[in-house]
Amino acid sequence: MTQMNNTDKTMRTFLVSLCLSASVTAAPLDLPPTVATIFAANCGECHSEKVKTSGFSVVSADAIRLGGNKHGQAIVPGHPEQSPLVKMLKGELAPGMPMGRSLAKADIDKIEAWILSLPVEQAVKKTDWRWPFEMPSKAVPPTVRNTSWVQNPIDAFVLRKLEQAEIVPAPTATKRTLARRLHFDLIGLPPSTEELNAFLADTSPEAYEKMVDRLLTDTRYGERWGRHWLDLARYGETSGLEGDGAIGNAWRYRDWVIDAFNRNLPYNTFIIKQLGGGDEHSMTRNNYQPDPQGFVPTGFLRMAPWDRSNLVAADVRQNYLSEVTTATSSVFLGLTMGCARCHDHKYDPIPTRDYYRLQAFFQATEATGGLDVPYKDAVFAAKAKAKISELQKQLNDGPEKKELDAFEKELLAKLIAARKERSQNKEILVADLRLELRLKPQRIFTEVERQQHADVVEDANRTQDPPEQRALEANESALLVKLKKAYALPDADPAKRFESLDLEDVRFEANAKYSGKSIFSKEEKAHFGELTAKLDVYRLRMGRWNTSVLGVQVAPGPPSGPDIAPARILIRGDYRQPGEAVEPGFPSSITGNSKPAEIITDRYRQYPTRGLRLTLAKWIANKENPLTARVWVNRMWQYHFGQGIVRTTSDFGKNGDRPSHPELLDYLANRFMDDGWDIKKMHKLMVMSATYQQAADHPVLKENPKDPANRLLWKFNRRRLEAEVLRDSMLQASGRLKLEMGGPSVFPPLPADLADFARYGRNGGLMWEPNEKDEDARRRSVYIFQRRSLPLPMMANFDAIVFSESCDRRSTTTTPLQALAMMNGYLSNEESAVLANRIIKETGANISSQIRRAFEITLNREPREEEMIRFTQFAGKLDAVCRVLMNSNEFLYME
Amino acid sequence: MTRRDLLSKSYLGLGSLAFADLLCAEDGNPLAARKQHLPAKAKSCIFLFMEGGVSQMDLYDYKPMLLKYAGQQMPKAERTVGELATFSAAPNRVIPPYWKFAQHGQSGRWMSSLLPNLATCSDDLAFIHGIKVDNNNHGPAVYHTLTGSQFPGSASIGAWMTYGLGSENRDLPGFIVMGDRRGATIGGASVWGNGYLPAAYQGTLFRNGSTPIVDLTPRPGMTESAQRSELDLLNWFNTRHAAERTNTSELDARIAAYELAFRMQTKAPELVDLAQESEATKKLYGLDDAVTEGFGSQCLLARRMVERGVRFVKLLHGAGGDRWDDHGSIKERLPVHCQEIDKPIAGLLKDLKARGLLDSTLVVWASEMGRTPFDNNLVTDKPGRDHNQYGLAIWMAGGGIKPGSTFGETDDFSVRAAGDEIPLRDVHATLLRLMGLDQNRLTYLHAGRYKKLTDIGGRIIKEIIA
Repeated sequence: MTQMNNTDKTMRTFLVSLCLSASVTAAPLDLPPTVATIFAANCGECHSEKVKTSGFSVVSADAIRLGGNKHGQAIVPGHPEQSPLVKMLKGELAPGMPMGRSLAKADIDKIEAWILSLPVEQAVKKTDWRWPFEMPSKAVPPTVRNTSWVQNPIDAFVLRKLEQAEIVPAPTATKRTLARRLHFDLIGLPPSTEELNAFLADTSPEAYEKMVDRLLTDTRYGERWGRHWLDLARYGETSGLEGDGAIGNAWRYRDWVIDAFNRNLPYNTFIIKQLGGGDEHSMTRNNYQPDPQGFVPTGFLRMAPWDRSNLVAADVRQNYLSEVTTATSSVFLGLTMGCARCHDHKYDPIPTRDYYRLQAFFQATEATGGLDVPYKDAVFAAKAKAKISELQKQLNDGPEKKELDAFEKELLAKLIAARKERSQNKEILVADLRLELRLKPQRIFTEVERQQHADVVEDANRTQDPPEQRALEANESALLVKLKKAYALPDADPAKRFESLDLEDVRFEANAKYSGKSIFSKEEKAHFGELTAKLDVYRLRMGRWNTSVLGVQVAPGPPSGPDIAPARILIRGDYRQPGEAVEPGFPSSITGNSKPAEIITDRYRQYPTRGLRLTLAKWIANKENPLTARVWVNRMWQYHFGQGIVRTTSDFGKNGDRPSHPELLDYLANRFMDDGWDIKKMHKLMVMSATYQQAADHPVLKENPKDPANRLLWKFNRRRLEAEVLRDSMLQASGRLKLEMGGPSVFPPLPADLADFARYGRNGGLMWEPNEKDEDARRRSVYIFQRRSLPLPMMANFDAIVFSESCDRRSTTTTPLQALAMMNGYLSNEESAVLANRIIKETGANISSQIRRAFEITLNREPREEEMIRFTQFAGKLDAVCRVLMNSNEFLYME
Repeated sequence: MTRRDLLSKSYLGLGSLAFADLLCAEDGNPLAARKQHLPAKAKSCIFLFMEGGVSQMDLYDYKPMLLKYAGQQMPKAERTVGELATFSAAPNRVIPPYWKFAQHGQSGRWMSSLLPNLATCSDDLAFIHGIKVDNNNHGPAVYHTLTGSQFPGSASIGAWMTYGLGSENRDLPGFIVMGDRRGATIGGASVWGNGYLPAAYQGTLFRNGSTPIVDLTPRPGMTESAQRSELDLLNWFNTRHAAERTNTSELDARIAAYELAFRMQTKAPELVDLAQESEATKKLYGLDDAVTEGFGSQCLLARRMVERGVRFVKLLHGAGGDRWDDHGSIKERLPVHCQEIDKPIAGLLKDLKARGLLDSTLVVWASEMGRTPFDNNLVTDKPGRDHNQYGLAIWMAGGGIKPGSTFGETDDFSVRAAGDEIPLRDVHATLLRLMGLDQNRLTYLHAGRYKKLTDIGGRIIKEIIA
C-alpha cells in the first residue's frame, strides 16, 4: 500500500511538473485588483500559494486558470459559463465554494465579467480516452514467427506481443492439470476419478476438445457461471436494512440466470430480458399484456438493498433510481456513471445531465413485489405443487400440528377456568381485558372503545417503540377501570359467557405481549411458541414454493394512474433540490449527441408509459453499441484467465485500466456479435487457445521483470478457489455433494457459536432456518440462502460475502481465520470424516491403498514415493489425512 | 496533452499497481503493519458506539432555552418539519433536561449529572456538535456512522484502518468487535464488514467466554499435540508443493496463516482472561457492580487489545429494547444507559492514561444520531425524544486530539448546527487523519470506482486536532 502510494506520489509530482512546464504557453493573464481582492478575501485561507488545498491557488490569474487537482483548468477565458470555478461558486458543481457558504452575487458577477473579458484561447487538441467509445476495430489476427504455437486467432494476438517482448510462452500444462483447470473453470468442481481417467485414456487429438464440449453441456456449468453473474447482479435475498427481511422469492431470478447460461441464451437476449422484461407491447393488438415469465429476469432491477423504513418517499424513490442507473451502466456498459449523480464525471465525458437522462428510462418503473408467475417447467411445477401440498398437510395434520392442537385444547380449558375464577375474584388483568374485548357480542364496551383499543394495539405492535407502548398502557388502564366496574354489577353474569372463548382466544393470549401477569405460565407460552415456530417454518417454506416473484412493473400513467413524474437533474444528487427536467437519452459520450432517445411505443399509444426500459435494453444489447460486447467478453476473459484484458472490468473509462491487448478484445467482441452473442462459443474459443492451455509455471522465467503481472500472458495465472468452489469440492470429495438443481435456497448449519440465529422461537423470527431435508445442507453453494446481514462465516472468510453492490471481481485474501475455519470448522471436519469412511469402504484396511485413494479423490493424482512414506508414518487417523489434504494448497489452488 | 489528462494517467499508475493483488507486504501477510501516510500519534483506535441515538442535550449539549420553554410548544419549528422526518407529525412541547448541568475541568465543558465519572475526564475530551447523518432511521444511520454509507455493503471504518495500517499484532486479528451481550446490532455483520475490501480486513466478532472467535477451538477430542502433528504434515506437504512452483508468495502466505491460526488458539483465550488483572483495575472499570460489569469488561478487554497492538477495537453498547432509543420515559431510561457506560469509559480513559497508552490510542464515542428537543406527541405522561439526524454529538479522546476542545455548535434548542452543517464525512476524514491516514490516498478500486471512506471527501476538523 504504502509503496504504491509513494510511487503514485512520485509519479504525480513528476507529471505535474512536466505539465506545468508544458501547459503555460498562453500569454500571461491579467487579474484586476477588484477581482484579486475577492479571491484573496474569500478563498485565500485555503487556496493561498502556501496552503494550496487541492493544489489550487488564487495567487495569480495564471494559477487560477491552471486550476487544482480535482477539476483541472478552473476558468475558460471568455467563457464564464464553461468555467468550473464559476460553477462551483454558484453551487452547480460540487463541492460548492467557498466551502460551507456562498459568495455574494455581486462578487460572482464581477468574477464572471472578468472571465468574459479574457481573450478566448484556441481549442487545445483533446487527448481524451476515446477507445471504449468508438466501435471495435476490425482487427485481423496478426502474423507471428512461431506459427506452430497458434491454436486459434487468440494465440496470434497474444504471441505477437510476446514475440515483440521476446518472451517465449510457457509450455502446455499436463493433461491432469488441464483437466482440473477446465473442470474448476467451467463447472466449479474438480473432475471425478472416472472423468479424469477417461480423459487421460483418450489419446486422440480431440480429447481436450471433447472434454470442453462435454463440460459446456453439463448443467453444473450454469451453476458455476450463473454465480459469476449473480456477483455482478448484487444478488441477495434480504433487504439488508432495518430488520434485513426477505425481499421475496429472489431465488426465481437466481434459477433464471443459471438456466439462461445452461440454455446458452444469447447475451443480447439475456440483457433485454433483464432490463426490458414486461415492458413490451404489441404494435397491432389491443390490450396486449406482457408474458408474465418476462417479470422473472427483471429481478436484476430489484436486487439492491432496500430501505423499507425510510419515511421520506422521495428519498427512497431517488435512491432506487440511482441504484438501478448505476448498476445498469457499470454492469452492461462498464461505465462508472455513479459519480455523475452529484457532479460531472471527473475523468470520463459523462456530464451529470447524461446521468439523469439515463435514469429517465426507469421513470415509469415501479419496484412492486409479489407478481404471480407460474413455473414454466412442468416437472418443476409438479414438484412445487407436491411440496406445497405436502407442507399444507404438515400444517393441517402433521405431528407438530397434532401436538399443538392437543396443547391448545389443554390451554383452552385452563383459559376458561381462569377467566371464570378471576372475574369472580375481581382480580382483573390486562389479559382479561383483551379477552373481554374479543367477546361477541360486546356487553361492556362501545364499538368506539373497541376500535380505539385496536388502533393503539396495532400502533404498539407495528412500531415496537416505547411511546406507542405507553399510549397502549394508558388506554388499557382506563378500560380496566370500566371493566372492573362492569364486573361488579350484579346483572353482568360474566362466568357463563366465558364458555364462548375459543382456540383463537387461546392463540391470542399465548402470543400476547404485555407487561403484567398472563393467564398462561412462562413455560406454557414458550412451549406454545416453539410449536408454532415449527409450523411457521412450514409456512415460510410454503411461501418460497409459491409462484410469487420479485420484479418490476410499469406504472400505467394517465388516465388509469397518476402522472409519471418527469426526470429532473438533481443538484448535487439531492432529491430536495430538483433542477431542470430531462428526457430519456443515451450517454452523449457514446452517441455523440444529447438528443432524446426515440422510445419504442405502439402505434396507438395505448400504453404510453411502456417501452422506456425496453428502448434502453435494445440500445445496450446492440451491435452498434461499442461497449456492450467488449465489456462482456472482457469479463469472460477475466474469469478464464484471472484478469481481464481491461483489468477494471466495470470501468472502461479514462480512469480505468488500459487494455493489454486492445486489438484482441476488439476482435473477440466482433466475433462474439457475429456469432450471435453466443456465450458458449466464446468459452470454447478461449479455452481452446494455446494461451489458455499454458502451464502456470514457466520453466525459464521465474519472475519476468518486463512483465511481472503477466499481462502479456506468458503463463497461466494460478489462483485460489472461490469460496463456493472450495466448499463444493470438499463436499464432492466426501461424496456427499447433492446435485439437485434450483428451488428455494438452503441453510447449511451455522457454527455452534452463531447457532442462536437458528433457534426456534427466537424473538424476532428466525434468521437462519432448519432445512427441509438434512442433505439440503450439502447442496451446491450457489443455493445457499443469501442473507445480507448474516453471511455464512466460512463463505465470508473466503471473500464471498452477500454482495450489496455489483461485484466485478472477488478479492482473494489469505487470513488465519480461513485456517481456523478449515482446521476446526464443522465442514472440513465432517467431510473429512465422511471421506475417510468412503475410502475405507472402497479400499479396505490397507493403509497404502487408503492413502492412494485419498490423493486420487482430493488431488486427482497418485501420491509420490516420499509422500507415501511421510503420510504412512503420520500418526493421525485416515480422517486426519483427509483433512490435511483438503487443507493443502494443492487442493485450494487451481492452476 | 492537458494537465488533467496527465493527472488521470497518473491515477492510473496507482490503479495498475493496486491491481497486482499485492495488497500485502513482502511476506504476503495482508495485516503486516504499514507506515502512516502522515505523521500522527495515534496507533490504535477504540470506537465506542452507542446504538439507538443518544440524546445529546441531556448529556453534553447544554441548552438553557430548553428549561425556559419546558412543557411549551417549541418556537421557530419550521426547519424541523418535513426535512427532519420524525415519527411525530410536528414538533411539540419541549422536554427539559431533567438533570443538572455543570461546567467541568479547566475547559469548562458542560456535562449533566448523568455522567459523573466521565465528567472528571472532561479535559481529555474533544467534542464535535451538530453533525449531520444521511438518514433518520436506525439501520441506515448506523451504517452511515460506521461505514460511511447509509446502505450496507461498504467497508467499515475499522476495515479501512486495518487496510491502511495493518496490525501490530501478528497473533490476533487486527480489527476486533465486541457486541452488547443483550443482543445483536441492528445492522448485523455489515457493521464490521470489509465490504468491497478484501476479507482480511473484516472485523472479527469476539463473543463472550473463553473462546471468543468462531472456530477457534479444535473439535472435541483433538489434542494440541495431535493438531500440531497434523499441521506439521500439512506444512511439509505445502512446502514441497511450493518448492516446485514459481511466484509462491500467496502459497507461502497461506502456510504462514496456518501457523498464525495455531498461535491464535492460545493467544486469544489468554487475551480475554481477565484473571490477570488486579482487583483495583477491575474496580476502576466497574467490574464489581452488576450494572457496569458488562460494558466494563469490554472496555477492559479493549485496553488489553490495544496494549497488544490490535489496530481497531469496536465496542457496541445497546441492543434490542436496551438501545438508547428513548422515545418515551427518557427520565427513567436514560440514567440506566448512562450508568452502564459512565464508570467503564472513565475507567478506560484513566487506565490508558496511567499506562501511557492514551497518547497512542484514539478513543471515539459516537451514536448514529441525536435526538429532538421536543417529545413524540404521545398520550403519555412519560415523554421521550424523537430521532434527530442533524444533532449528533461525538467526542474523541487520546491520540492526537486537542484536549478540552469543542468544534461546532447547535442552535438554541440543539436541533441542528447553528452555523455550517457538519457532514459525517468530515468526522470520518478527521478520524483517518488522526490515525495518520490521508482520506484521498486510502482508496480501493471497486466496480470501477476508487472507493473511499469519505466518498466525495470530507473536511478535516483541524479545530480539534492538537
